[in-house]
Amino acid sequence: MHISFLLHNAYGVGGTIRTTFNLAGELAGHHDVEIVSVFRHRDVPALGAPEGVRMSHLVDLRKKSPTYDGDAAEYARPATVFPRGDSRYRQYSRLSDARVADHLRSLEADVVVGTRPGLNVHISRQARRGPVRIGQEHLTLDSHGYRLRREIAHRYTLLDAITTVTEADAHAYRTGFKLPGVRIEAIANSVPAPTVPPADGDHKWVIAAGRLHKVKRYDLLVRAFADVVAVRPDWRLRIYGGGDATGNERQALLTLIGELGLHDHVFLMGPVNPLEAEWPKGSIAAVTSDRESFGMTIVEAMRCGLPVVATDCPHGPREIIDDGTDGRLVPVGDTAAVADALLALIQDDDARHRAGLAALAASQRFDPSRIAERHERLFTELASRGPRDRSHGAMSTTLHRARGAVLDGAYALRYKAAAAIRKGKTA
Amino acid sequence: MTASAVRRTPRADCTVGPDGGITFDLDLRREDEEAPELLLRLRGAKSPDRDAGAVRLSLSPLRDGRLRAVLPGTTRSAEGRWDVYLREPGGDDDGAVAVEPGIRDLRLLVDRAPASGPIAVRIPYPTLDGRLAVRCWLRAPHAEAGPVTFDGAGMTVEGTLYGTGLGTDARVEARLPGADGRVLRVPVTGQEGTFAFTLPFDRLADGSVTAQQLWTLWLVPGAAEGEPAGGVRISRILDDVWDRKKIFVYPGRSAGEGVRATPCYSTDNDLCVRLEPAP
Repeated sequence: MHISFLLHNAYGVGGTIRTTFNLAGELAGHHDVEIVSVFRHRDVPALGAPEGVRMSHLVDLRKKSPTYDGDAAEYARPATVFPRGDSRYRQYSRLSDARVADHLRSLEADVVVGTRPGLNVHISRQARRGPVRIGQEHLTLDSHGYRLRREIAHRYTLLDAITTVTEADAHAYRTGFKLPGVRIEAIANSVPAPTVPPADGDHKWVIAAGRLHKVKRYDLLVRAFADVVAVRPDWRLRIYGGGDATGNERQALLTLIGELGLHDHVFLMGPVNPLEAEWPKGSIAAVTSDRESFGMTIVEAMRCGLPVVATDCPHGPREIIDDGTDGRLVPVGDTAAVADALLALIQDDDARHRAGLAALAASQRFDPSRIAERHERLFTELASRGPRDRSHGAMSTTLHRARGAVLDGAYALRYKAAAAIRKGKTA
Repeated sequence: MTASAVRRTPRADCTVGPDGGITFDLDLRREDEEAPELLLRLRGAKSPDRDAGAVRLSLSPLRDGRLRAVLPGTTRSAEGRWDVYLREPGGDDDGAVAVEPGIRDLRLLVDRAPASGPIAVRIPYPTLDGRLAVRCWLRAPHAEAGPVTFDGAGMTVEGTLYGTGLGTDARVEARLPGADGRVLRVPVTGQEGTFAFTLPFDRLADGSVTAQQLWTLWLVPGAAEGEPAGGVRISRILDDVWDRKKIFVYPGRSAGEGVRATPCYSTDNDLCVRLEPAP
């Protein structure tokens, strides 16, 4: 099969990019795989291009490149196809609208895969008839605003399948929308086997990792660790991750660490990439988020042989951790429960070693080869049906798109009216 | 519009062994008879005495075709930052290309507690501009800083002493580098290779502090012969953290009216006390 991924920016760093590279690299063993990046801002992909995968881009944002597109007039005009509700809306433009449209209308592939809502909308509206249309959801439905959810309800009907990273999110799609004939399937993110040997379970460190953001609730973890240190002062905590542009979480955490007198027990390690050699420096991993769209770090830690203490938050942790076997699930926001679960594994060396081995074994199900097989099965099944037999034949596509065009006109008019009213008010 | 997926720079995975030796595995495959060599150059070394500031390691193929070089734990490389280059056979040193850091497995460096000195530490690390370098320390004797506790208007530091003992005249000196060269001396206690001292912050602040002052801390054992004349710099180097300035962050304390004192580490992992006007 010829499989074509459509990615926002293959040259940056991020969970979606990493996951797409893993999947594309795995599929390239048996298929003709390409990644089309809407934007390109550097020469070489920061995460290293996957082997055997063709890479190309549509909008060149390298200032020194002879094909630099940033000065084009169309680049300065706001996008009309890429939906406003997608958080990346501001980066898209009339130029990206046109380039993505040209690409999709001429794309000779068996399968085209979108990797974020805005690009899934592009595929739904502009892919030529023929390729199987897959929309991947790497975040979660409930993380999207009202405007984007409405767009999804309307546009995703022309996709052949939607994949989510958790069963919980697949359920939200199935129950939240009427999408007849659209396959909705949960396929977890993959994590490759680390190249370093697993942890031995004897280093007296707890490890956490992820950008320093309020939603990760590192404040909760630090408070819980004060209770741990009171019992076991020989154990310490490392938190890996860079600060977040949305706030000054690092300073807030440093203040908390100082107030609790944990300056010799809790350390903010800063951003480290790749992380895989950091996990085996510890023996337990901790994730205390209020929410996780998947829980990539849980799987990463388990693949290094660490049992994970995690909050039972939506959406991922409970689909990854087998409570009591390869980790512990604790109620969201409960400091004492986090401390108790950590101490249970700290105080019982045998239990910790057993749970580490269980984590190592259980996390094999996230191996890229196994995850790629599930995507491959879905693609093959849909492709073998042929466009005529898939629910969205030529007729329904034409009808839906025509109706969509009318609605677009209506929306546009309404936005214009709203803008006029706003202007009127401020004038 | 197709991007080239070829990486131009060689990349090395590093593993630190139990003896402190480093194994470098390069993602290069060479069929030729003559393999390139790994060249470690001490940053800032004076050019006339080139070879004192260079270590050359031969690369040999592994079973999977990658190339491996080993820096043995017994090599005494000078203190400083060593940049890692790849020199092609027949090429000269100036044509050697920088090596990128890959996976660095440093787990055996975490919480090291050597039985005795001299202390040699080598940590492979990524430089800010994305190259591979090795941070080396070579200390004999060595004063390793441990926990810092605060009591009233001062701090108490406990640590481990290698390669010397404490004499009757043992002391810790806080020194303010610069023209006036102020020094504060406090007693140091300890036994069997440990040391502890308490530094009252208010005695550092002599009068008003208008600009930031960075006081360095030295242990003067006052015992054995052959100890460094200026004393032993108090540092923390026995783990995998090559630059703890932003990682080991301590809370500040008042050091008198309008003055704040905060213990901190330099980018060279030396323990210091920062004095600054209180906000």
